[in-house]
Amino acid sequence: MTTSPNNTQRIEQYLQGRLSPSEELLFEARMIAHPELRTEVRLQEKVYRLIRMYHRKKLKEELEVVHQRLFHDPRKRSFRQRVERIFKPE
Amino acid sequence: MEAVAIQPNTIEREQTYIHPSVDELYERTFPPVATFVRKMGGSFDDAKDIFHDALVVYMEVSEEDKRKVRATQEAYLLGIAKHLWIRKYHRDSREVEFNDAENRIAIPEDFYPPVQTSRLLKFLEVAGKKCMDLLRAFYYQNLPMKKLAGKLGYASEHSASVQKYKCMEKIRNTVKEKSLSYDDFTE
Repeated sequence: MTTSPNNTQRIEQYLQGRLSPSEELLFEARMIAHPELRTEVRLQEKVYRLIRMYHRKKLKEELEVVHQRLFHDPRKRSFRQRVERIFKPE
Repeated sequence: MEAVAIQPNTIEREQTYIHPSVDELYERTFPPVATFVRKMGGSFDDAKDIFHDALVVYMEVSEEDKRKVRATQEAYLLGIAKHLWIRKYHRDSREVEFNDAENRIAIPEDFYPPVQTSRLLKFLEVAGKKCMDLLRAFYYQNLPMKKLAGKLGYASEHSASVQKYKCMEKIRNTVKEKSLSYDDFTE
């Protein structure tokens, strides 16, 4: 019973608190009866965290593009000079 | 003609996660953060790195939390950068002065993940890229399901949803295998 897509969806609904109180109770009873379901739930929680970390990493890559744009655009010279002054050796 | 028609879509897709106004925010808020990093003895690259991290953290802050902290964007980003500086380089928090607003800023616990998690993430970026991109779109693009399905090239919301759960399952199984192979991988 562990890995049907249906079950994956159910786990998501449980983790997002979208089950009704009675469905939630039933789901928790199933976790007690099936320790492998509990493992799947724990792993899926980990996947959500990993997706968030992946998202952050990709955002940083996108910000690198913004950075390169600002530091190469001839119209942004005064911004660049302002930053360069901050790091100028005293 | 067709290539011309595709162009606006491509641009739209690229800018889905980062708002175009970020350029203006960047210009306004990078100098104060850079000044702080420099004062702490950091380099230009350290400043850039901390600043990008701070922007990522800032993008996750809810409107409600922004209201609670009551600071301008510049002050908020500088506050985040100060907290991140301490966290990233394991510095003593007494080295940095925090004002009241800055003290109200909270940084996500998992922002700098432990080595094992970073390693797993690197593996998934290669082995599970397609699914990771798809899942990222589902959870972070903030689009109604119907629009998202169309954008990702699915004929219906249903088929997009089926694919999403297939991907979730695939990644979950990979995480399971990997956590069996490194026994210290449990948090």
